[in-house]
Amino acid sequence: MSGGNGAGGAIAATSGGGGAVPVLSAHGLGRSYDGYIALGSFTVEVEAGEFVALIGPNGAGKTTFLNLAAGLLDPTAGGIEVAGEVPGSLAARSALSYLPDSPVFYEDLSVVEHLEYVAALHGVVDPSARIDELISRLGLDGWEDALGAELSKGMKQKASIALALVRPFAVLLADEPLDGLDPPSREVLFDLLAETRAAGAAIVVSTHRPDVIAAAGRCVAIRDGRLAYDGAPDPKILIELFDRSELEGA
Amino acid sequence: MSVVDRSAGTVLAAPDPVAAMKAMRRARRRRYVARADVMEVLYRVYLGAIAALFILAFLAGALHEVPADPSSVDGIRAHGPAVIGIAVALLVYAGLRAGARGGPLAIEAAEVRYTLLAPVSRRTALRPAALAQLRIATISGAVFGAVVGNFVFRRFPGTGVEWIGSLAAFGALVPVAVLGSALVASGRRLRPGLAAILGVALIAWSALDLALGWSSSPATWLGELATLPLQSGAQAWLAAVGAAVALTVLAAGLLGLGGLRLEEARRRAELVAEMRFSASVQDLRTVILLRRQLASEHPRRRPWLRLGAGSANPVWRRDWQSYLRWPAVRVARVVVVAIAAGGLAVGGFDLTPVLFALPGPLLLVAALDLIEPLAQESDHPTRRLLLPFTASALIRRHLYAAFATMALVLAIATATAALAGGDPGLALGVGAVVFLPLAAVLVCAAAVSATNDPYEFILSPQLAQTANLAPIVVALIAGFLPLFVAWKVEGGNGARVSAAFGTDLILVILAFVGIGVLAWRFNKREKEAL
Repeated sequence: MSGGNGAGGAIAATSGGGGAVPVLSAHGLGRSYDGYIALGSFTVEVEAGEFVALIGPNGAGKTTFLNLAAGLLDPTAGGIEVAGEVPGSLAARSALSYLPDSPVFYEDLSVVEHLEYVAALHGVVDPSARIDELISRLGLDGWEDALGAELSKGMKQKASIALALVRPFAVLLADEPLDGLDPPSREVLFDLLAETRAAGAAIVVSTHRPDVIAAAGRCVAIRDGRLAYDGAPDPKILIELFDRSELEGA
Repeated sequence: MSVVDRSAGTVLAAPDPVAAMKAMRRARRRRYVARADVMEVLYRVYLGAIAALFILAFLAGALHEVPADPSSVDGIRAHGPAVIGIAVALLVYAGLRAGARGGPLAIEAAEVRYTLLAPVSRRTALRPAALAQLRIATISGAVFGAVVGNFVFRRFPGTGVEWIGSLAAFGALVPVAVLGSALVASGRRLRPGLAAILGVALIAWSALDLALGWSSSPATWLGELATLPLQSGAQAWLAAVGAAVALTVLAAGLLGLGGLRLEEARRRAELVAEMRFSASVQDLRTVILLRRQLASEHPRRRPWLRLGAGSANPVWRRDWQSYLRWPAVRVARVVVVAIAAGGLAVGGFDLTPVLFALPGPLLLVAALDLIEPLAQESDHPTRRLLLPFTASALIRRHLYAAFATMALVLAIATATAALAGGDPGLALGVGAVVFLPLAAVLVCAAAVSATNDPYEFILSPQLAQTANLAPIVVALIAGFLPLFVAWKVEGGNGARVSAAFGTDLILVILAFVGIGVLAWRFNKREKEAL
């Protein structure tokens, strides 16, 4: 899938010379707060079409990494690129979609208005079909005109997922996306992620859930702000690295 | 579930993302206006206008101002711009500091999440919010300046039009300079340390102007604008340059808008949303706590001084432990408030007594800082109830340390007035007879304000409003009364100091009323809890 006008698809990440580059690459990336190292010397590269599970105990630095990639935080060491661009640049913002752990809404816009607005901000010409599809598949039918404050936790999460998927992107960052979802909605989300990946977009999901880790082709583990493991999601290795409780049985 | 009018048509019809953003904002504005109760808004404006007219008419009738003597006029012509420049520099410092911490804009969390992460120019996205904030600040500043000008022209050479015009322009340009500095610090991502150095340098430059009789700092040039009807020749041109500098800083700030740190913008968005909610329920205490978070104003890990062992008076000791952990910025703020109050008192005598209305509310800000340990007792009722004495006794004990430090703050204000004014004897005399009862009133007013329960009168908003406004009005009266009386009385310094002393009885009564309100409030809460 290509271009910026098709809703919800992947956009190609290309270098100036036209060759393929990693959609997400961090080298020696670090972020500290008044001496406390939230993330230190973190190096990782994610290729187009990859599904990466980002795991680690609470406070390990997963959300910090996602925020750095999204351009919501500035690194204090090293560098990070999204589709070959600095996070926060116009090109990086076009290429990256971020689904944060806590949904946020304009208090006076309905669900469908949010979707239309975000699609329009990303230059989607006719998003109606994609909006209808996402609303239907995520079980938001009947809630299109609801304001954010009227939604339950699960419905808010569904609306937030729809907002992340309604626009084109090369890489999707999702922070605990299954939180608050019922089992059927989780299945829908897995289907949507699989379709996104098939369309060529990379997916990085921060999670504690074994089903997400199992679905991912690659597992990147962070512990105390440092890279602890990068490879196939092998439960034996992961259990060696973490307490069982930290990974909910993975 | 509510059904809202769809704005989809306009947004989806927009030819590009920027147009979509503008269309959505227009739609939201229309929706906001449609939902607003126009009659209610008009009624509030009507009440505000009536109150403002009444106050202005009252002041104009009560003041009976006489022309200032030539020596005062000369003094203000020579030193006024630099003194005003120092005040402007202090405000610019505050702006730079706020900007280095992500201010001055308060953006919705959703705006950060969706609009600022979209491939849309952040400068374009943020400009309307910056201009809206600027519009409100400049209009308020201009109106305040015009009001002061309306009183000043009665005492000084120059026509009403000249004074009202120059002070209105000054009032409008100060927020331009302050907001512009904040936007530059935010957009250029100045480190807080560097922003502070720049601010302090400007203050020092303006202070040097005062000491050497120069007019070289841009802040002093704005001071020239404030006193323009007294100035001539090069000074008048400097006023124009000062205005140009302020506008240039603003332009630079607007151009660099897009550089703001999203990290700070997100943090501010969350805190400001909470502050707005707290303000909407008139919860001043929470607003103060959130504002401290917004300014990253945290207690020091290592106190300035460690108190030795001793438990003779644990509440007194606990209060001083709190003060000794104050961050430098809070110490500086209280000292600056004291200096400003002293300066305004002098300004009231030299320029217009309207300025006497400002020291009281300003000193209340310092008192609200000093009352923090008491406010924490109010915040934690369970902890309070576990102590082996009544809540009202505990609260009363907390007043002592706050009273002692407030007296110190007023001593600084008095010393400032003595040094800055032309009559040190009068300043010291009035300060000496007033500072103790005034400290008591201010501390009690702050204690009443900080321990207000915002939900106590939730069903009668007018009552809640009165409860919130009362401490501010009391502080205003307590600051205004002794100064106004000393100004009004004719005769030598002895007569003026005696007149100020005569107001002590009123101040003492106000303080006792405050203590009574606190005792009643905490006894009631204790009974309800038990």
